[in-house]
Amino acid sequence: MIAAVGFVAILVALISSVVLVAEGIRASRTDNPDPARVKIPTIGLAAGGVTAFLALELAILTHDFSIAYVAKNTAVATPFVFLLASGWAALEGSVVLWGLMLSVFTWLVWRGVKKGDGLGVLALAVMGAVAVFWFGLMATVANPFALCTEVSNGFCSATSWLPIGDAVTPADGVGPNPLLANHILMAVHPPLLYVGYVGFTVPFAFAISALVRSERSKVWLDRTHRWSLIAWIFLTAGILLGGWWSYEVLGWGGYWAWDPVENAALLPWIAGTAFIHSAIVQRRRSMLQAWNFVLVIITFALTIFGTFLTRSGVIASVHAFSLSAVGPALLIFLGIILFGSFGLFAMRASTVSSSPRLESLVSREGFILVNNLLMTLFGFTIIFGTMYPLLVEAFTGREVSVGRPFYDRVAIPIAFLVLLAIGTGATAPWRVETGKVLWQRTRVGLNVGFVTAALTVVAGVGSVSIVAIMGLAGFVIGNIIAFYVHQSGRAHRGGRTWPTALFATVRNDMGYWGGQISHIGIVLAVVAIATTSVLATRTEVPLAVGETAVVDNYCVQYLEPFSRTEPERNVFGARVAVLDRTCSTVKTVLEPRLHEYTKFGQVIATPSVWTGWVDDVYLNIAATDDDGIRLKVLVFPLQWLLWVGGFVIVAGAVLALGRKPRDRVTTSNQSDERKHADA
Amino acid sequence: MPERARTLLWLIIPALAAVVIIVGLWPTDQATADPEARAYNLAVRLKCPICAGESLAGSQTDLAKNLRLRIDEEIAAGSTDDEIVAIFVANYGEQVLLDPPRSGWGIVLWAVPLGIAAIGGVAVYGLKRKDRDTTEVPS
Repeated sequence: MIAAVGFVAILVALISSVVLVAEGIRASRTDNPDPARVKIPTIGLAAGGVTAFLALELAILTHDFSIAYVAKNTAVATPFVFLLASGWAALEGSVVLWGLMLSVFTWLVWRGVKKGDGLGVLALAVMGAVAVFWFGLMATVANPFALCTEVSNGFCSATSWLPIGDAVTPADGVGPNPLLANHILMAVHPPLLYVGYVGFTVPFAFAISALVRSERSKVWLDRTHRWSLIAWIFLTAGILLGGWWSYEVLGWGGYWAWDPVENAALLPWIAGTAFIHSAIVQRRRSMLQAWNFVLVIITFALTIFGTFLTRSGVIASVHAFSLSAVGPALLIFLGIILFGSFGLFAMRASTVSSSPRLESLVSREGFILVNNLLMTLFGFTIIFGTMYPLLVEAFTGREVSVGRPFYDRVAIPIAFLVLLAIGTGATAPWRVETGKVLWQRTRVGLNVGFVTAALTVVAGVGSVSIVAIMGLAGFVIGNIIAFYVHQSGRAHRGGRTWPTALFATVRNDMGYWGGQISHIGIVLAVVAIATTSVLATRTEVPLAVGETAVVDNYCVQYLEPFSRTEPERNVFGARVAVLDRTCSTVKTVLEPRLHEYTKFGQVIATPSVWTGWVDDVYLNIAATDDDGIRLKVLVFPLQWLLWVGGFVIVAGAVLALGRKPRDRVTTSNQSDERKHADA
Repeated sequence: MPERARTLLWLIIPALAAVVIIVGLWPTDQATADPEARAYNLAVRLKCPICAGESLAGSQTDLAKNLRLRIDEEIAAGSTDDEIVAIFVANYGEQVLLDPPRSGWGIVLWAVPLGIAAIGGVAVYGLKRKDRDTTEVPS
């Protein structure tokens, strides 16, 4: 019954999206395009998307094992949170979540389209076309409501595509992949990423609409910049939580492995980052119109490419959880997007491109171009590194691998250059920055940077790269804060008290200052990435009960083993005290564990982490024997700064959303820049 | 105060700090890298042969654990990093290297991104030049 409701909802959404495309195109061609003509298909699409999602969740929560997806991915004993998360943890469910978001976003966009708005009506048709693909997937190769028609060994072994006919119901389901049902973050991380992925559909749809209609103006950017920023915020948060999950669950002590699927999430983020920066240049300086079309198409295509990497199994990865016919379908869709969009772009490029007027490379727009160049290079290198083993194998038959050492070697110099560009560019005026202004706006940072680097050396850090990163961090943060105080000082001299002047400065240009807060977050995150990779201590010690071992500035003592049986798994753990270097003061007691999933025959080591003022102490059981345990002890300096930095990035971007919808032509700092530029 | 003197004042602190940094980081007799750090750095560069895209350092499989012990043994026996990598390549083939050698096909992996960077640089420079040719008045 639930299966039938869900499947019908998918069909309703599919038909609605087809009608949305047809009616949207027809309506946009009239003299006075009327969004009311696509009201019914838009609502049908949203209703179908929501109903399909709710039906799947209901089936999971009521343990309707006659539905193959439910039987495969959940079990009676699965805890509630992971039952909910099962609705999107596996392939078909993730497509349903995608459909839910896309259909709701389409409805939200429709609400903002007024009569006579041909750009918006046609953009809705483009979103409809994307929805045709996703709901088409659900109706065919990725049907989440397929019924189980045969059971062998208690597992559902055959399915019927249509949710009608006699279903066979296994007594219990298989349950979620143990790795995915191990931590609460795994329930949150995919939906965040998906909001990010799907969010970029909106600027893409408006861009395509503007291209089709040969609209030269920046209206499409003005109307979608909030969508882009929201998508970027969710993508950022999703990636960070993914890294956190990896750190808390996977047990090797890292948060990022340059795995193809991690790259798949990073690529749209990189392209999206380039896009939100270059969009600012077009909105303020009317440059880069053509480049923005290219970037938004690439960003959207990379969200599909990312899904393809994750869901097709083409590239071996720890996270590629599924293999199916969805892969080829995604590849074809990707091909259509790339050929269609760039074909359209090629036809229209001459009519939509704005005349470039870059007066000086040393200017705000000049530094944003540097950002774009670095992001493009970074993104391209990652795509190339990810695809390289496939290419080599296709041409020569040889098996090769590309991993961390390659990406690190590219990412590290790019990170240095990005910090340098932020530190110099974020406070640069538009158009032209004279040498005098450049000096005025970087001299504080220069001092802060050098002092920070010197203090790092005095603190005993001998690594050149860490000293350099700390210096750059001081440079960026010093410049931004000095500029902030300088701008607020003008308001202060205008008669405000200091607190209100500081507040008013941000209030008057939330887009800019939100961006600067995000920049500071980036700096903090880069510092943490550097310290945790360069200054980490990694060791493995054998410990019998009662024994201690000194690692770095800490001492660990194995107190006692413990074990218990939980639903679906056996837990073996070790109680380990973390003490100071002299083994006298207990800081905390950690419980690293081994989880044995009987049904899957899998043993997963689950680490336990203590976060101090400086270091994270990360314990994981490497092995057990008759004498005791082999304990992995890892010490990561400033690990917490990565999560704090991530939070600051997101918080700054959220603040930037508060910018007034109508772009402010003159802000305090811009008029100031005019003066400098004219001088 | 004349402007030049004020500028110099701003440079005093960076100059002093630079002295501290240079003295502090002056290379002293390099102590031999500790074996655990060496072992980890090797494990990061080598792929776990049976895993999906994980390094020896990242994998929790028994094979990876045994191979990490193998690295420890080789280091204890006095092998150099290159010798240990060679042993792994001999046993598991070229695919065990997560950092493809910069020879043969491996050159492509480096040449293409550098080419992209060059094209991008030329494009930005072109954007600048194009402007000089036109006599447009900024709005």
